[in-house]
Amino acid sequence: MTENKKRFIDPHIHVTSRTTDDYQAMREAGIVAIIEPAFWLGQPRTQVGAFQDYFSSLVGWERFRASQFGIRHYCAMGLNSKEANNEPLAEQVMELLPLYVGKENVVAIGEIGYDDQTAAEDKYFRLQLELAKTVQLPVMIHTPHRDKKKGTSRSMDVCEEHGIDPSLVVIDHNNEETVQEVLDRGFWAAFTIYPHTKMGSERMVEIVRSYGPERIIVDSSADWGVSDPLSVPKTAALMEKQGIPDDHIQLVTYQNALTAYGQSGKIKEADWLEADPVDQRELFEGNSVLRGQSPKVGYKSSDIVEN
Amino acid sequence: MDKLAEIAKYLHAMLGRQSKADSIAWLEQQQSGISGDSPSGFYLAFSTASRFFDKAPLYVNRQDAARACELRPGFSPGHWNCLQAARAYLLLLYPHDNPDKWLATLDKLFETADLHEQEALYAALPLVPNPALLKLRAAEGLRTNMTTVFDAVALHNSYPAEYLDEPAWNQLLLKAVFLQRPLYQIQGADHRANPTLAQALIEYAHERWAAGRNITPELWRFVGPFLQEKHVGDIQRVLIEGTPLEREAILLACNMSSLPTARQRLEDYPEIQAKIESGELNWEKVGKQSHSTAL
Ligand SMILES: [Zn+2]
Repeated sequence: MTENKKRFIDPHIHVTSRTTDDYQAMREAGIVAIIEPAFWLGQPRTQVGAFQDYFSSLVGWERFRASQFGIRHYCAMGLNSKEANNEPLAEQVMELLPLYVGKENVVAIGEIGYDDQTAAEDKYFRLQLELAKTVQLPVMIHTPHRDKKKGTSRSMDVCEEHGIDPSLVVIDHNNEETVQEVLDRGFWAAFTIYPHTKMGSERMVEIVRSYGPERIIVDSSADWGVSDPLSVPKTAALMEKQGIPDDHIQLVTYQNALTAYGQSGKIKEADWLEADPVDQRELFEGNSVLRGQSPKVGYKSSDIVEN
Repeated sequence: MDKLAEIAKYLHAMLGRQSKADSIAWLEQQQSGISGDSPSGFYLAFSTASRFFDKAPLYVNRQDAARACELRPGFSPGHWNCLQAARAYLLLLYPHDNPDKWLATLDKLFETADLHEQEALYAALPLVPNPALLKLRAAEGLRTNMTTVFDAVALHNSYPAEYLDEPAWNQLLLKAVFLQRPLYQIQGADHRANPTLAQALIEYAHERWAAGRNITPELWRFVGPFLQEKHVGDIQRVLIEGTPLEREAILLACNMSSLPTARQRLEDYPEIQAKIESGELNWEKVGKQSHSTAL
């Protein structure tokens, strides 16, 4: 097993779609905190109640489930761009959001932005940027898979138009084509290590080598697709093997995410370093999942995510 | 001053002793923002309380505890944290003159609550203005998968024993046994013991034994008053095969029974019988001991 003394944050993962085995493996691999942005679930929702229950699970059940495995769970709240295209429903979701954005573990508005870059997407993106300003939260931006370069520039233009400081905005799902502009304009640049569609871990190593560790964040975006909840620790291991300095690895797989989302005032190192002993006791009682059983090791497979 | 206002005043005073001045100032400000016309200010205050109060245990001395019990029998804020107390305070501020509106607001609050908000809401059930309207909600809280939420409803809470109907009450006890929760922390439980529950618990014990598993000695507390001749074999089994604590527990149960065979078993152990009669051995002690060794 790889040396696991290091701590990691996966600042973008959809654990709702993952099993408890994944949680065990994540903890074993050193992940101490995660951020789960609200997104779509594969199947479009048709009722506002479905959003309500989803949002409630992000601040309730999923947070509890993560804590059972010693992982602190935070989330980003928002209406995703895909479902923003159902305007009557989107209106109702916008009315629901204020009920959730003030919750204790909500560290950002997100993931929001563009998918097809339609007028409806633009409308709800802007409305949610205004919401982020009102509640003083950072923003997590999902950049589109198609027409990515243009969509990424446009996302940043709109943030600037709404007077949001780039230091409060994380632009996610970057690639070699978008990173330069994002960094030049002062935004945080996140990279999703996701097989086939987004970024591979070997390419990620090269990006950190060329651009340095400043304002660069690595995440897994693991969800219901073929994805890997251990992308962050695996990429860190690969970086180490390929000679990236330790402090650079620590920045891109832990500290930068903490600094960016820490601006919410709702996520801090003490949350996991000084976990409340009362909480700890309650967490593992009454749940037999971890009792008398050593965590499964999910770390044996290749450390390289294929591209 | 009505009871609710008195309880609110009490919570305010308790928080005032250990919170920062600006947190208390924030709490006081909320009073004006909370109105029955639009609950959004209330929802927001309830959520954002976490920015002003932490989860440090609420400091409650003996006098405070006695005062709490005077205000509301069973009210035990010594098991609360500051954030919970602040949320309970806000809950008491919300207007309740229109019960339908009040219930709709509370429903929404429960439905959209995060983990710790749920704990605060369920723990505050005995304090709310229209407690009887929340019976189904309390029963729903017991269906949770989150231990901390289950505990908020079930433990140190006077609401379930006072308001739950028998099926929901029995579910509480059975689930508490199943989740290995400390039964001695369930308020008013002895008064709500009943033959249906006792039978279900006995069956649970048989199931556990068949699987080669232990059962909590606290279980016998709710079986004792309903022991029948057909249970004599179970008593015998615990007396012979049980740990010393389990033996004490089954004899405490025999002591609750008027069944002659059960009384006879008790007399077979005069030392333990003496400890029971002197009060040295009781259910609270069994509960505490069994939970300190379980961990
Ligand atoms: Zn995502």
